[in-house]
Amino acid sequence: MQIRIRCNCGEGACAEWAIVELQGVVEPQPSIGDQIQGLEIGRLCCTSSSSSSQGSYTFTVGYHELTGSRVSLKKPLLVLKKMKAAVDGDERGTELEVIGIIRHKILFKSRPKALISRPQIKEKKMS
Amino acid sequence: MEMDIPAPEELEWLETNALFSEEEDYTVVEEVAGGDQAEDLTEVFRRKASDPPTTIEIQTSKKRPREKEAAAALEGVLADDERGVRRRASGDDSDEEWLRYSPPKDVAAADATPERDVAVPDVAEEKFISRFASEIEGGSMPVTGPCGDRVYAKMSSGEMGGTQRKLIREKPANYLLSEPISILSRRVEQDALAKALQTSFDSPIHQTHSTSQTVNEQLWVEKYAPKSFTELLSDEQTNREVLLWLKQWDSSVFGSQIRATTDDVLSALRRHSSVQHQKFSNLKSFFGTKRGALFSNQNFKSSDVFDRENNNLKGVSELSSRKSPVNHLPEQKVLLLCGPPGLGKTTLAHVAAKHCGYRVVEINASDDRSTSMIESKILDVVQMNSVMPDSKPKCLVIDEIDGALGEGKGAVEVILKMWAAEKKSIADKGNATQEAQPGKASSRKGRKAVALSRPVICICNDLYAPALRPLRQVAKVHTFVQPTVNRVVNRLKYICKKEGFKTSTIALSALAEYTECDIRSCLNTLQFLNKKKEALNILEVGSQVVGRKDMSRSAFDVWKEILQKRKLKCEKKSMSGCSGHGDFDYLYSLISNRGEYELTVDGIYENLLHLPYHDPLMQKTVKCLDILGVSDSLLQYVMRTQQMSLHVHQPPIAITISRLVAQVEKPNIEWPKTFQRYRVMLMEKKDLLKTWQNKIVPSISRHLSIKSFVQDVVSPFLHILTPPILRPVALHLQSEKEKDDLAQLVDTMVSYSVTYKNSKPEPSQKAHKYGAVPDASVLCLDPSIDDFVKFKDYQSEHCGLSAAMRQVLVHEVDKQRILRESTGRSMNLTDESSSVKQASATINAEVIPMINMTESSSVDGSNKLNAALIQRQEISKDASKTSSEVNKKLPTSGVNLRSPGNPKKSSGHPSGFFDRFRKEGSKDSMVSGDALQKAATTERDARPLLFKYNEGFTNAVKRPVRIRDLLI
Repeated sequence: MQIRIRCNCGEGACAEWAIVELQGVVEPQPSIGDQIQGLEIGRLCCTSSSSSSQGSYTFTVGYHELTGSRVSLKKPLLVLKKMKAAVDGDERGTELEVIGIIRHKILFKSRPKALISRPQIKEKKMS
Repeated sequence: MEMDIPAPEELEWLETNALFSEEEDYTVVEEVAGGDQAEDLTEVFRRKASDPPTTIEIQTSKKRPREKEAAAALEGVLADDERGVRRRASGDDSDEEWLRYSPPKDVAAADATPERDVAVPDVAEEKFISRFASEIEGGSMPVTGPCGDRVYAKMSSGEMGGTQRKLIREKPANYLLSEPISILSRRVEQDALAKALQTSFDSPIHQTHSTSQTVNEQLWVEKYAPKSFTELLSDEQTNREVLLWLKQWDSSVFGSQIRATTDDVLSALRRHSSVQHQKFSNLKSFFGTKRGALFSNQNFKSSDVFDRENNNLKGVSELSSRKSPVNHLPEQKVLLLCGPPGLGKTTLAHVAAKHCGYRVVEINASDDRSTSMIESKILDVVQMNSVMPDSKPKCLVIDEIDGALGEGKGAVEVILKMWAAEKKSIADKGNATQEAQPGKASSRKGRKAVALSRPVICICNDLYAPALRPLRQVAKVHTFVQPTVNRVVNRLKYICKKEGFKTSTIALSALAEYTECDIRSCLNTLQFLNKKKEALNILEVGSQVVGRKDMSRSAFDVWKEILQKRKLKCEKKSMSGCSGHGDFDYLYSLISNRGEYELTVDGIYENLLHLPYHDPLMQKTVKCLDILGVSDSLLQYVMRTQQMSLHVHQPPIAITISRLVAQVEKPNIEWPKTFQRYRVMLMEKKDLLKTWQNKIVPSISRHLSIKSFVQDVVSPFLHILTPPILRPVALHLQSEKEKDDLAQLVDTMVSYSVTYKNSKPEPSQKAHKYGAVPDASVLCLDPSIDDFVKFKDYQSEHCGLSAAMRQVLVHEVDKQRILRESTGRSMNLTDESSSVKQASATINAEVIPMINMTESSSVDGSNKLNAALIQRQEISKDASKTSSEVNKKLPTSGVNLRSPGNPKKSSGHPSGFFDRFRKEGSKDSMVSGDALQKAATTERDARPLLFKYNEGFTNAVKRPVRIRDLLI
């Protein structure tokens, strides 16, 4: 099956995306429940991006700080957007649009560092 | 054998000499014919002088230096008649020089001529052969006849090129004699010259001439100073030990171990012990630098000799060092000679060092004695090989090392440093021999700290000078004792006879006694009197003595003088009334010279009561103590007003005491230590009290001065601290009243910051008392205030608490203190609220939630809580309601803590205040807990998402994911 995709931006000018790969799970506080919309996950900082491939990043989630590095993917990935196009009476119902291209991922595979300075609060939160 | 070939000058001189002696032959005959009278002799010489032969002229020119040299020799010589002064006075009369020289030539010629029979009586008259070595002037030689008679023959010979010269040539390098024959012969020659000079003075011409010439007279002290070991006046035992010590260095310094005492020294020692005073034997005179420098010819020869000696020595040392690598240094590297002045310490050091073949390097009080200077000097002595022709090893003599305190200390420090270095390097003993070799040592020593490898002799007057304390432990100490008056008097008499000064033995002994056998001062006095042409006056010896070395006695001496009655003085007192006055003067000067009145009085005070004086009514004692009190207040006044002139009144005080209690028996004097000891103790206690006072709550301590505490409060305070009503039972068994008492006691103790602490009793005491229980410790009051009421043989009325009670108290007090501290901290934080209650409430609010947080409410937590509540009780005392109701409501945990084993009782227990507050507290905690909860949630909301790390888990299954899955 052939999938036809359309790129608006044109080759070479596509927006660059990146994957954040974590060894672990980001999950909401149990008290919050399912309403996770509009919550800030964390803060991703590029600490040293001197070399193109080996930039190091820190990712702060909750009271954990993760340290990771940028890894280039073997095969780049495309980010597509499915669009419903029933505009011109064309036979096709949907079409895919390229939003971005992913060539790198930021891999956080090390054990997170705790940022807790006040143990009481941590104790409290744990309980 | 290069040295045996005489120098060209010498040969020339010998030639003229020989010629002269031949020429003189006829005078001998005449002299013998004319008898021995001096007038005849001079007549002969005059006649000779009248016809001017050419030889005389030659001789005068040649004789010039020799003449001087002979005069120099004479200075050292103990002349045996009164003409010494005159003789020296006409030292440089050149026109009669030939005269002086001729008489020994007579003798020499007489020896050489076949008319021996005639010559012998002449010799006998001049004491050339005698049974006693002391009667022979100059070098002598023992001769034992075939029948066993031993006589001493004078060694004299004028024939320089004769048989003796031949002997020298035949001698091998290693001598059988202690000294090379060349030196002996030269010495004999010198003697001959001396004699010539001396006889020439017999002529009446010079008698008129010399009386006026006494300007550059030498001091008798120097003139008659012992030049050889055998003449030392000091104690023989000490002499020998010093010599022995120096000899111990031989193996390391000279490198040879086989150097035993030379024969002539031994014989001299033997003679010395038998004959007290012998005439000057020219034993070591050739070492004198003075003479050597004056006469170039001799110098040349002597250097030759020394070179040879050195070669010889080196050969031996190399041999022996190869044989035996271990050398035997003396154990103590430093010799410390001490004793009163004028006993000949310096002389002994010099003579002994010279005797053992050292060059003496003296550092005197007049030299620069800073540490660096001393160090460099010692380094020089220890390391350097002298550039002088005679490379004798050096021996350092530090004179008057106790003299200047600061500088002398420097010297002591340097020596100690070197000694310590020596100790360190003692480990590698193998190097020691190498180090001893002066040549090789330099490279090694550059790296290491310098060690002492040459003998060092220190001389001091006061062995117990503080600066010398460290040295005393290191050094070998020899204390000089006074020689017997007899010995001194004999020597003085001998000198007086020599100098023609008329004295009596009694006068001399009085003088010696007065100066305490200080022979230097004796001699100075005698010479002074001789100059003034006065006779020594027995009665006024004190006023006549001059030239005493200024010296202060040690404190011990002063005390001894004060507390011991002088036996001799007592006798004198009976004879003449005025001597009591002298005694006073003596003591006065003694004490005021000593100067340290405080110490003196201290010493008197401490030793006074140990004296065995007769005092049945204690009157003397009372008087003495009164006097001491006067002295004390005087001292105090002087110190306060700084009027040092008032110190003049101190010696009479001591003298008064001396008059009262001095005994003939030797007092057993000890150094006063109590003052120092109690001073230290006072400082300690004061310090202790001060720190204690600082620890007490300011509201209390400001009403409590240390002085008044010690004087007034201690005893009652101790009574309060140890109430007898407390029963040593467990807390929960105590009655209500007891509990209150206990609480009060704890309160007192905390506010006065008194507690009990473990302190181990004295180990020995413990071992005796509780042998089985090794670590039995006793709880004592922490600032040991009970010490202030502890006196010897005094039992304080307050009874100590039992050990169990103390244990309880320790706990309670600790608890209370912690509480107070924490309150104090929080009090500082909160504002000073007007109502105490409010304050306490807020504090509770702060404290309790914290504990509440740890919901488990562990015993610890509640313990703390309860403690906090106890605290509150003191702060707010007004409200006391509803306690019982609250009590019922409350969980019993809080009360449980106080009596954990008895919950039943605690429920009914009206520990009212606490529970009231507890209730308040728990209410508070609810409220504030909610608030806290809220705060926590907001904080949690700030971090809605958490990261959960999946550690080390992988299923290790790779699963293909279709793109279809991704596309939903």
